[in-house]
Amino acid sequence: MTPALPLADELAAKPPEVLLVDDDEVNLLLTAVALRERGFDITEAGGGEHALQLLADWAPDIIVLDAMMPGLDGFATCRRLRAMPGFENVPVLMLTGLDDDASITRAYQAGATDFFVKANQWSLLAGRLQYLLRASRTRIELERSQAKLARAQDLARMGSFDWRRAGAAGSGGSLMLSAQGLRVLGHGPGDHVSLRGILRLVQRAERRSVLRLLQGVAQHSSVLATDVPVALPDGRQRIIHVEAEPEFNEHGHSVGYTGIVQDVTDRRVAEDRIRHLANFDSLTGLPNRRQLVWRMERAIEHARRLGHPCAFLLIDLDRFKIINDTLGHAAGDELLMEVALRLRACVRHSEQVTEGALEAVGSRAHRTLEAVGRLGGDEFIALLPEIGDERDAQRVADRILEVMRDPVLVGGQECFVTASVGIAIFPRDGTSVADLMRNSDVAMYSVKSQGKDASAVYSPQLAGRGREKLELESALHKAIERDELVLHYQPMIDVRSARMVGAEALMRWQRGNMLVPPGDFIPLAEESGLILPLSEWALREAARQARLWKNSFGFDNAISVNLPSRMFERSDLVDQIHQNALSYGIPHRMIQLEITETGLMKELQSVIPALHQLKEIDVEVAIDDFGTGYSSLAYLTTLPISELKIDRSFVRDLGVTPQSSGIVTAIIAVARSLNLRVIGEGVETLRQMEVLHRLGCSLMQGFLFSRPIAPDDLELWLKQTVLPRRAPWIGQANELDVGGLAPRALGGRPF
Amino acid sequence: MLAMSHAPQTQPPAFASVLDPASLQRLHELDPEGANRVVERVLRAFETSLTRLLPQASQALAQGDHEMLRHVAHTLKSSSASVGALELSRCCSEIENRLRQMQFDGLAERLARLNAEGGRVLAAVRSLLPD
Repeated sequence: MTPALPLADELAAKPPEVLLVDDDEVNLLLTAVALRERGFDITEAGGGEHALQLLADWAPDIIVLDAMMPGLDGFATCRRLRAMPGFENVPVLMLTGLDDDASITRAYQAGATDFFVKANQWSLLAGRLQYLLRASRTRIELERSQAKLARAQDLARMGSFDWRRAGAAGSGGSLMLSAQGLRVLGHGPGDHVSLRGILRLVQRAERRSVLRLLQGVAQHSSVLATDVPVALPDGRQRIIHVEAEPEFNEHGHSVGYTGIVQDVTDRRVAEDRIRHLANFDSLTGLPNRRQLVWRMERAIEHARRLGHPCAFLLIDLDRFKIINDTLGHAAGDELLMEVALRLRACVRHSEQVTEGALEAVGSRAHRTLEAVGRLGGDEFIALLPEIGDERDAQRVADRILEVMRDPVLVGGQECFVTASVGIAIFPRDGTSVADLMRNSDVAMYSVKSQGKDASAVYSPQLAGRGREKLELESALHKAIERDELVLHYQPMIDVRSARMVGAEALMRWQRGNMLVPPGDFIPLAEESGLILPLSEWALREAARQARLWKNSFGFDNAISVNLPSRMFERSDLVDQIHQNALSYGIPHRMIQLEITETGLMKELQSVIPALHQLKEIDVEVAIDDFGTGYSSLAYLTTLPISELKIDRSFVRDLGVTPQSSGIVTAIIAVARSLNLRVIGEGVETLRQMEVLHRLGCSLMQGFLFSRPIAPDDLELWLKQTVLPRRAPWIGQANELDVGGLAPRALGGRPF
Repeated sequence: MLAMSHAPQTQPPAFASVLDPASLQRLHELDPEGANRVVERVLRAFETSLTRLLPQASQALAQGDHEMLRHVAHTLKSSSASVGALELSRCCSEIENRLRQMQFDGLAERLARLNAEGGRVLAAVRSLLPD
């Protein structure tokens, strides 16, 4: 014990206060004098009653009592004062006569700390007092530090224990728990708890492994540190952290353990919560992408080691978007939760993975990897960590399709949701999580494109379609939500005034670092039906761009958007354009539509109503690639269209073959007679421009003026080329103009 | 001051046969400078105590109050030893022991001896005290 505690210092600086009680004045006087001489601060009392009066409002450091006194004698006084609060532990020295054994016994019984035989040996008495005072101080300090420790342990829900090994005789080991330790284990301070009793608190499932751990630790005299789930006597489930170090005797033999027990339930609950948030989807409670990838990696490792296949089933809901859009997000969430429940029932879903056991050879712990998880949106994955063969995966897929067929009640309404399931099997269809994910996606997508509500196992030649094409299609599927699509713009020029009179929007796909040209994905999009969402997006994006340009340089012409004929068949096309115009605050006329001649003629009857509606709201329509299809001139006269675009193939040959200029001349004549605008596409040379103009077409677009470029670049192009009138075609155009061709008015402000 | 302060002397003083010089010397050592007049105070306290206790002892015996007698003997035993009245202390001790052992015979003679010795001690103490 360190003597240099504040209390010790304080007392050392101040003479110890002694209450001296003796009825004999001579002795009282002598003892007082002798003790004062030795540095004590003496207060005298001539009897027990007087002493107790003094103690009513004063606490000396030590009390010296003469045993034999008339009235209240030393024993009675001692008993009384011990009963007074605050005097339970103050040292009391009883003065007895020589050979008075009876008094000595009585002194201890009365609660005296010690006795001293009355004699005139003052140094001995002083020495005894010093000793008692020191013991008392040590005791006070110890009590304070114990109280502090107990408080700290209580706050930390912690207590200590001491375990002695069984002796050589084979008597069972003994366990001592501090009061705090007992409390941690749900016992009262006086309870006796054996090691066996504590083991009974451990949850049954853990008991064997805890016992094994303890035996192992004890056998090797190693350090113990573990968390044990227990059920306390009152039924509370807690997690107790146990930490102990071995103690050795002088021969180096381990004699036992000392350590602590601590209730770490709250901490563990918080940790588990954090882990859960990081690994589980908050909506459905299923493992999230991160957790799934982790489980898939473990499953692959295990399958590789044990040489068995495992399967990933990618499950994508059909028509989820429609439900989400029509019934709202809350209903969509409700649906996803219900789907999650159903999917869980299709596999031996494990909430938790028994991680430690995964490494053990021959263990079945990898089966706890089996789960359904949510990748995000309406995409789920079922992980089957061990299958016999493909048919096992197929069976689970069938079960999934089956449970999805029952109607789901969301927002008080019955919905029918089906799923498309793609299966990829390790190692045949890939050996990494990334490969297997991609291939299950390809398989799933093949189901989607063949009518949905089915499953498919991945194969490189899925349904006779190239793998790359499938992958491309699958990736395109996600391009919109990933913001990978962009519009580039090619200006339309009126060469008479050398101004921009509009721009055609052309879609590009920014796929990673690659800019995919429309020819590489539009046909695919048309084939798969993706063209519809792509077109909807393009309409919205064009409206947004029109607004941006209007703000930045006063753009007031139209942006022309290419639409497939299917879009014109949709009843909500007009509404979409109206909504977009409304959202971005532009007039309808700033959006113009282009439909190919072939597309128009093929679906003529179903397209015509839309054309009329569009005309009513001032949205103009141009016929693209004009001259390549088989337009019926009779129809052309009645169609509410505004513009013909001469196909680039005729423009290319202008000035090269006489036939081409003949066709162009004819088209221009048709346009004139029908009072339609006409514009030449694909103008690449000054010669082509010159001829086209001479033939009566002054509106053009092509590389000669600008390729399709990003919207910011178009602004730059205007600023640096058109406005300063710097381009070669501008001088040429002016000359042509002098050539005296009739100028033709065109709506909108020229640039 | 006190005659004690002239000790040691070649001829033992008159009180020496009653009061043990070594004991008195120890008393003196408690207050060697005499600044607190400890010896005088102790002797005065003893004189008072003795004057009170001797008649009390006789009265206790007359009334057959053995407990009172035992207490007087006990008190006088230690205080007389303190001032060096060793014979008196022995008398007290003897009475106290007999009483403790419930030997009530022969108390009268022992009390007479106590009184006689007590008278001698009282005279010796008074001879040491200034008037």
